[in-house]
Amino acid sequence: MSEALIRQEPVSETPFVSEGIRISLAPPMQRHALRARNAEDLERLLKVKIPTKVGTSQGGILCLGPDEWYLRSAMGKAIPTGEGLPLAVTDVSDRSICLIVEGQRASEILMAGCPLDLDQFAVGRATRTIYETVEIIVMRDAEDRFHVEVWRSFAAWLWMAMTTAARH
Amino acid sequence: MSGFRLETGGRIDRGQPVTFSFDGKTYTGFAGDSLASALLANGVMLFGRSFKYHRPRGLVAAGSEEPNALISVDRGPGRFTPNLRATGVEIHDGLKAFSQNRWPSLAMDFGAINDRLGMFFPAGFYNKTFMWPRSFWDRVYEPAIRKMAGLGDAPTAEDPDVYASTYAHCDLLIIGAGPAGIDAALGAMDTNKRIVLIDEQDELGGGALADPALWPWLERSVKALANAANVTILTRTTAFGYYHDNFIGAVQRLTDQSPEITDSPREKLWRIRAGEVVLAQGAIERPLVFDGNDTPGVMLSSAAKVYANRYGVAVGKAPALMASHDSGWHDVFALAKAGISISAIIDVRDSVDSALMREADRMGIPVYLNHAVVGVRGRHGVSSIDICNSGDQRVHRVQADALLMAGGWTPSVHLWSHSKGSLKWRDDLGAYVPDVPNENVQCVGACAGDWDFGTGAVIDMLPTPKDQSRIKAFVDFQNDVTAKDIKLAVREGFRSIEHIKRYTTNGMATDQGKTSNLNGLQIASSALHKPVPEIGLTSFRPPYTPQTFGALAGHAKGALFQPTRTTNIDSWAQAHGAVFELVAQWRRARYFPKSGEDMHAAVNRECVAVRSSVGIFDASTLGKIEVVGPDAAEFLNRMYTNPWKALEPGRCRYGLLLKEDGFITDDGVSARLAPDRFHLTTTTGGAARVLNMMEDYLQTEWPDLDVWLTSTTEQYAVIALQGPNARKVLEPLVEGIDLSAEAFPHMAIREGRICGVETRLFRVSFTGELGFEINVPTAYGRAIWEQLMAQGAQYDITPYGTEAMHVLRAEKGFIIVGQDTDGTITPFDAGLDWAVGKKKPDFVGKRSMTRPDIVAPGRKQLVGLLTDDPNVVLEEGAQIVADPKQPIPMTMIGHVTSSYWSETLGRSIAMALVAGGHDMTGGTLYIPMPGKTHTAKVSGVVFYDSEGARLHV
Repeated sequence: MSEALIRQEPVSETPFVSEGIRISLAPPMQRHALRARNAEDLERLLKVKIPTKVGTSQGGILCLGPDEWYLRSAMGKAIPTGEGLPLAVTDVSDRSICLIVEGQRASEILMAGCPLDLDQFAVGRATRTIYETVEIIVMRDAEDRFHVEVWRSFAAWLWMAMTTAARH
Repeated sequence: MSGFRLETGGRIDRGQPVTFSFDGKTYTGFAGDSLASALLANGVMLFGRSFKYHRPRGLVAAGSEEPNALISVDRGPGRFTPNLRATGVEIHDGLKAFSQNRWPSLAMDFGAINDRLGMFFPAGFYNKTFMWPRSFWDRVYEPAIRKMAGLGDAPTAEDPDVYASTYAHCDLLIIGAGPAGIDAALGAMDTNKRIVLIDEQDELGGGALADPALWPWLERSVKALANAANVTILTRTTAFGYYHDNFIGAVQRLTDQSPEITDSPREKLWRIRAGEVVLAQGAIERPLVFDGNDTPGVMLSSAAKVYANRYGVAVGKAPALMASHDSGWHDVFALAKAGISISAIIDVRDSVDSALMREADRMGIPVYLNHAVVGVRGRHGVSSIDICNSGDQRVHRVQADALLMAGGWTPSVHLWSHSKGSLKWRDDLGAYVPDVPNENVQCVGACAGDWDFGTGAVIDMLPTPKDQSRIKAFVDFQNDVTAKDIKLAVREGFRSIEHIKRYTTNGMATDQGKTSNLNGLQIASSALHKPVPEIGLTSFRPPYTPQTFGALAGHAKGALFQPTRTTNIDSWAQAHGAVFELVAQWRRARYFPKSGEDMHAAVNRECVAVRSSVGIFDASTLGKIEVVGPDAAEFLNRMYTNPWKALEPGRCRYGLLLKEDGFITDDGVSARLAPDRFHLTTTTGGAARVLNMMEDYLQTEWPDLDVWLTSTTEQYAVIALQGPNARKVLEPLVEGIDLSAEAFPHMAIREGRICGVETRLFRVSFTGELGFEINVPTAYGRAIWEQLMAQGAQYDITPYGTEAMHVLRAEKGFIIVGQDTDGTITPFDAGLDWAVGKKKPDFVGKRSMTRPDIVAPGRKQLVGLLTDDPNVVLEEGAQIVADPKQPIPMTMIGHVTSSYWSETLGRSIAMALVAGGHDMTGGTLYIPMPGKTHTAKVSGVVFYDSEGARLHV
C-alpha cells in the first residue's frame, strides 16, 4: 500500500538549471548510520569492504569518522540490524535528502557557502561539513558532480542558498 | 581658487566626460576620476566639516587613508551610504554625493561656533562637563551632542541591494598590487601555486599609477598576470581583516562604480584561506603638525603627485612644500615636470642632499632650509603661508595656494598586526616595521620599511615661536585632536599611549589613525621625555577600512538569514490555515482557527475535541535519538535519574535528564525496541543539546561502553492521535499490531504498519487521554496524516496546535522543561521525586542532590495556583508575593511559569515556582499585575483526572 501513498519531498522535483550548473533532487534511497569500534565487525555483518580512511568512500559506504560510516543503498535492499553485536546500524533513510550539484560551476557554487577547499577534494572523497550554518555531507561523484546530503528540514534553505549563489 | 585639470597627463579618459553632482551642484569629470580628483579639477577645495569643531576641511590624501573628505552617496531609496572617502569613490554619470556634518550648508555651517569656543573643548571635555545632573544625559546632553558631533546620517530604509559571499582557497595570497605586490605575483606566476592578488583600487599598480615612467612596465606586468591561469586578480577589493591560520576577509565592490542599478550583487565577501600571505600594503605619508595644518589646500605631497600624474589635476597653481623628508622634494619636482609652478620648498632640516638642492636650483624653486611653516592664511583654501627661520625666529610670508606636507612615511602594518605579528621600532624611519611573523606571512616593499623615498628627519611637530597653547596644530584630523590635547593628557597623568589614545580619541576615528598614530606617539614621547617604544603602540583591529553591514551579512538576510525548519506535515497545516510559531528553529502550527475564531476560541475548541473525541497533532519536531549497542541500557541507566536496565523491550519510560549540577535539563519518553536498541525522545528545543551532552559523556567518561548514538529526529514524522476515540480512528489503518488495552497498554511501543508504511507506534499521552504517537518515515508524514484525517472524519477529528497542547498538558500537571523549570530546578523542586531511582548507585547529577543548597528548606518549588476569581488568567512571568501590604520593593517569593484558560475545567489554571511552595497547599498567595493584585490558592499541579482513569482505557 505504501506505493500508493505519496512521498512528500522538501524541495522541488524540477531541477534548477542555469549556466554551468544543475541542481536536482536525487531519487529516494536507503541510508544507514553505521557505528563500530572495529570496521571488521561491520564487514562481517554486511559482507562488504568497509573503507577505513576518514573522508573516503567505497561501494556506497562513506567513512565519516574513525568509528562512523554512512551507507547509502538502493531502496529495498535488506540491511541487517546486527542485534547483539558490538556495533550499531540505524536506519536514517528519510532523515536526509540528496541534492545532486553538477556542472562546470558545481564546486564554485558549493564553495560559496562551504569552507572546504574543493579543488583538493578528489573524486570519491566524502565528508561531513557545513554550508554556512547548515550541516551537510559532501561526496565528489565526478570531477563536476557532487552529492550533497542534507537533513530534510534544512533542505529548502539549502536549495534556496545554492540557487541564490548560482544566480550570482 | 585652487586646483585645475592639467592640459595633458593622467590615466583618465578625456574622451569620456562624466557628469555628477556634489551637494546638488552639477560637475563634470572624466572616466577614471575619483570623486576627489574630479572635484579638485573643478576647483573644489572644501569637502567637509570636522567632527568636533566643524572646521572647514579639504583633502589630505589621495587614497584610503583620507581622514577628512568623508561624503555620502545616494543611489536611490534605501541605497544611501554615509562616510565614504571621496578619494575612493569612482565617479559615474548621475552620481549623487553629499558633504556631511554641516548645517545649513558646507560653506556656511552654524556648528562652526564650536571652533570659536575651541578653548572650552579640551580633551575629555564631554566626560568632565556633562556628568551632572545625571538625568540630563539621556534627555539633553546626548541628543544635543549627537546632533552637533558626528559623521554621516545612518540609512533609514531597508537596504534593497543583494550581497554575495564565498569561500576561496589559494596557496599564495598577495594583498596590495603596487610594484612590490606585482613583483611578488610575477615571481610566483610560473609555479603551480594558486595565486590571488588583491587591491583596493580600481586598477592594479598602487604607487606606480602616479609614476608615468613605470606605466610601460605596469602594462606588461598586468597583462602577464591577467593571462596566467593560476592567478586570480581581485580589484576594488579590500582585505579588511586577517584572522587565525591565514584566514583573510575581503570585500569586493562590484556595482557602485556603475550608473545602473541592477539586481546583481553590490558587493561580495571573500573568505580566503591562504597557504602563504604576502602583505604589500605600502606606506602612508605622514602629515606635519603645525598651526593651520587642517586648512583646505594643505595636503600630503605624495597625494599632490597622485592627483597630477594619475588624474591630471593640479592641486594648486603655485603650491609650496613643507618637508622634513626627501620624498617631498621628489614629489614637487614631479609636479614641476607636469607643468605646475612650485612657489617654495621649505624644509625643517638645515641641510639636505646636495642633489636635491641642485635640482631645485635648476628648476628655479626658492628653497628655505631650517624653516618651518608657522601659520596658514585662508579659511576655505590657502592664500599664503607664514614661515619662520628656526635660527633667528624671523617670520616672513610666502604666497602659495596650496601647501604640501612631507613628514616621512609610516609602513602600513595593519593586517600584519591583525595577524599578531610583532613590530620593531626604527629610529631612522620614526616608525614601527614588521618583525617576527605569527603566521605564514611576509611583508614586502614599503610596508616592510623597504623604500627608495630617501631620508628625513623625525620630528614631533614643527618648531614655532607662537604660544603653543593658542594654536591649533592638528594630529588627528578626523577626530579633531590637536597636539595641545595630547600634551594635556600627559599633564593630567596619562602615561601609556593606550590611555592617551582613549582620553584624547587620537586614532579612534573611522580611519584608525592611519595618518595620526605616529605623530601622536612622537608628541607623547617628547612630552614624557621617553623614547617611543617605552610609551607603547596602539593595536590595529579589523576592519582596515569601514565595510558595509550588507557585505558582512552576505547571503544571510531575509529567508536565508537562518533556516526555518519545517516538518513534512507543515504544508498541510499551511493549506489549512494554521497560525504558526517558531520553536527553536522549527516552525510549528500554534492553532488552526476556523473562520471567525480568535486564538482563544480555536484553542478552547481544540482542547474540548481532544477531551471529548479525538485530536491530531504534529509532533515531528520532538528530538529523537536512537541508542544502539550491547551497553545501551547501561548507558541510559547512567544518564537518566530513573532505572532503565529492567525495562522490557516493547515498553516505554519517562526519562528525566539532569546536568552534573543536579538541575533538570531535559525530559522525554523513551522506548526499548530490543535488548540493545532504544528510541529516545527529547524536547523540541533540546534535541541537539541532549545529543551533544550524551555524546560528551560517552566519549569522555565512559569510552568503554559499546553503545552508539544516532540522531533520528528527522527520520520520523510523528503524529500524536489523542482522545477517547483515538483507538477507533487508528484500528482500521494499522496492520500487525493488536491495539487492545490488554495487548498494548499505556507506555508501550509496537512495530508494525500503518497504511502499509512501517511504523513505530507508541502508546503515550501528553494530554492525559488515551493516546498514540505514530512514527513513520518522514516522507510519508503528510500522507499518513491525511489518511488519519479521512478515517477520523466520522469522529470530528480535530487538528490541534502547540497552544492547545500546552493547555492539555498543564491540565494534567505535565511540565515543560525550560518553561516550568529555569535551570535551577531539581526533580524534587518540580515534584518529580518519583522519577528518581533512590536505589541507583549513580546517575548524572546524583552527587549534587545532597549539596547543602539543594537540601536546604525554602527552595523554589513547583505548585499549582487557582485564582480566587476563576475568570482571571494570570500573566506568565508575573511575580508572587506573600503579603501585598509590604512596602515596595516587596519580597518576591516566586513567579508564574504556566497559565491558561481551561475550557474543560471552566476556569483558569496556573503553575508557579514558589519558595517553599510544597508546604503552602491551600494557602493564599498574591500576584500583583498591572491594575490589580490578584489572589490565588496554592494547589497540586494536577488539575484534571488526577487518578489517571482516562489514560488506561
